[in-house]
Amino acid sequence: MLQSIVHVCLAGLSQGMFIWLVASGLTLIFGVLGVLNFAHGSFYMLGAYFCFMVLRALGENFWWGLLLGPVCVAAVGYLVERFFLRRVYGLELPYQLLLTFAFVLLFDDLVKIFWGAASIGTPPAPGLADSIMILGRRFPSYNLFVIAVGPLLALGLWGLLEKTWAGRIIRASSSDREMASALGVKVPTLFTAVFVFGTWLGALGGGLAVPYLGLLTPGMGEQIIIEAFVVAVIGGLGSLKGAFLGALVIGLLSAFGTRFLPTFDMFLTFILMAGVLLWRPQGFFGEAR
Amino acid sequence: MSKKGMNRRQFVKAGLMTAAAAALGPAVLKPTSLWAAESKVKGPIKLGYQTVLSGTLAGYGEFHKMGAIMAMEEINTAGGIAGNKLEIEFRDSTLKAPDAIQNARYFVDSWGADFLAGIDSSGQALALAPVMAELDRVLMVTHAATEKLTEEQVFKNGVKQIFRIVTPTYQDGNAAAFVAKDLPVKTWATINPKYEYGFTCWNMFKETLSALKKDVTFTAESWAPFGTTDFRSHINTIMDAKPEGLYSVEWAGELITMVKQGIQAGLFNQVKHVMFPVGAAMDVLEGLGAEMPDNIWISGRYYFLYPNDKSNNDWVERFHKRWQHYPAYVSEGAYSTMYAFKKAVEAAGSKETKAVVGALEGMTLDSPAGKRVFRKEDHQAMYDVPWGLTVSNPKYPFKIMGKQVMVPAKDCFARPPFEGPGTKPPFKA
Repeated sequence: MLQSIVHVCLAGLSQGMFIWLVASGLTLIFGVLGVLNFAHGSFYMLGAYFCFMVLRALGENFWWGLLLGPVCVAAVGYLVERFFLRRVYGLELPYQLLLTFAFVLLFDDLVKIFWGAASIGTPPAPGLADSIMILGRRFPSYNLFVIAVGPLLALGLWGLLEKTWAGRIIRASSSDREMASALGVKVPTLFTAVFVFGTWLGALGGGLAVPYLGLLTPGMGEQIIIEAFVVAVIGGLGSLKGAFLGALVIGLLSAFGTRFLPTFDMFLTFILMAGVLLWRPQGFFGEAR
Repeated sequence: MSKKGMNRRQFVKAGLMTAAAAALGPAVLKPTSLWAAESKVKGPIKLGYQTVLSGTLAGYGEFHKMGAIMAMEEINTAGGIAGNKLEIEFRDSTLKAPDAIQNARYFVDSWGADFLAGIDSSGQALALAPVMAELDRVLMVTHAATEKLTEEQVFKNGVKQIFRIVTPTYQDGNAAAFVAKDLPVKTWATINPKYEYGFTCWNMFKETLSALKKDVTFTAESWAPFGTTDFRSHINTIMDAKPEGLYSVEWAGELITMVKQGIQAGLFNQVKHVMFPVGAAMDVLEGLGAEMPDNIWISGRYYFLYPNDKSNNDWVERFHKRWQHYPAYVSEGAYSTMYAFKKAVEAAGSKETKAVVGALEGMTLDSPAGKRVFRKEDHQAMYDVPWGLTVSNPKYPFKIMGKQVMVPAKDCFARPPFEGPGTKPPFKA
């Protein structure tokens, strides 16, 4: 029983960390730019495909792919923000949603044109291809790596936002855009920077997913973006702390649900979201608006 | 909000057009049907094909297209169908039932399709049945596997317009049970899709295996929703239950992911007998490559190295030359569909629904998968597909079947009238 519980916990934690990686970029972009970016799941997908492309080109080494792939996607994010998204900041929410949704369709088709519609099998990560024994059952070492990366990234983000000059500017602009602008912050440049960084986070999630899922499929961003949205809503849209906690809760809930309450496993996540929306609509750490 | 309005308008338009077609249809069509026997078929022959072309399963749709296009090219080079050119239009079925219905209506009402084919999801196939009766065009199903389509819609409700060219769930549930009865396994468990297809197959497997072998028990079930990317919790459930055998109709990318995560967790070291009824699908074989464990039981709706005869081997070679891929089972189904329509239209001397239905019923078709016979009662094609154990082969970059076992369709397909004793396998000799 102990073996079973520990392994379900580990499965839930690694699941949660992926959702966190995607949700962090999503919620950061919403917090600062006020844009609900539907295309964020596509950046996750592109992160995986670019990672694959780089690792193919550089001798099947996943680590090069993880290092360079998300950077390429961040460049794509730059183009999207600079030439498209920037034009709709002043418009109503539906225009932003439509535009980002258009990018979802566009990226799905581009992936199909460049890499084909069939799923592509991918190699494991060098050095972490093995499993280690935990209480008599094997657990992939790569997943332990993912479980470690999640909190490290959270810590890094926290440090960046709370302890650096750039972080203070970001926080200032997100709480009052006009005042920040009046005080000399170049808000458009800041928005581009934050969007590019958020894109990189989503793409990093995709890159990390390559050895974990073992295959790439067009449309692979669709499932994760729904979970990331749920997590962002539960945690409070715009709150990184909330997204981290929300991802942990959803990951563990879904793992325990699958193992111990299999009839209701899909249900649990949405029950939680409905509950949060009813009794704490701003989410765990969201500010009431 | 504006979206809703648009839909309503489209809906009204479609409704009006259908009503107009229904009112005009009989009057316009009658003379042709009287003269059909003597007059030659007027072309072109238009076929509307819908399959999934977006999302994570888009690869399946591409494999459908390869088979259909290759058949069309061959048929048109060789003089067409009864002297008429074959035209195919493809549409994305998206796997959602409302879209399948909308596509079918578009094909028939707007594009003027003579025949329809395709459909991947069982839910879509069942939703389309009453629509096909109303549109009165033949639909050849090339993937959706639920036995309820042929047993209930065709046989019981008399929707004569629907045929299925590929093996249904009988191959996945019943045939698997015949293979399982000879394995040294007394406890079985499953990780299966949490929808119609998964439930049906597992029930069929359990019932048939229980009838064939007395001392088997089914110890654990874990149901994975559509779109599952993390099977670790499901694998934990199975490893906790410690069964001797694992049965799973997970398919496409989800099967690939499940197998990879199973290998990492040591699942295949613990459970020695594993059956994947759709594991012989080309996307799975290619996707897993050398990583597919050895000695896994796999099958499909067609396996590219069976039958090992000249006709099939030549076809596989032509296909590989044309597309740089080995044919998936959906490619074979789509390819054979075009030849089934060609043979039926030429035999009937007409492309009219009633005449073609009559020609297809009981028709024998020589196809890459071997000889198919469309059973008259339920319009299900009868043909044999092997089960086999995975093994490496230097000729291919993926695992193929080594040892094969054949459970003939006549032994594992349920028989009309599908109710009462003697209609479900095992049958008495």
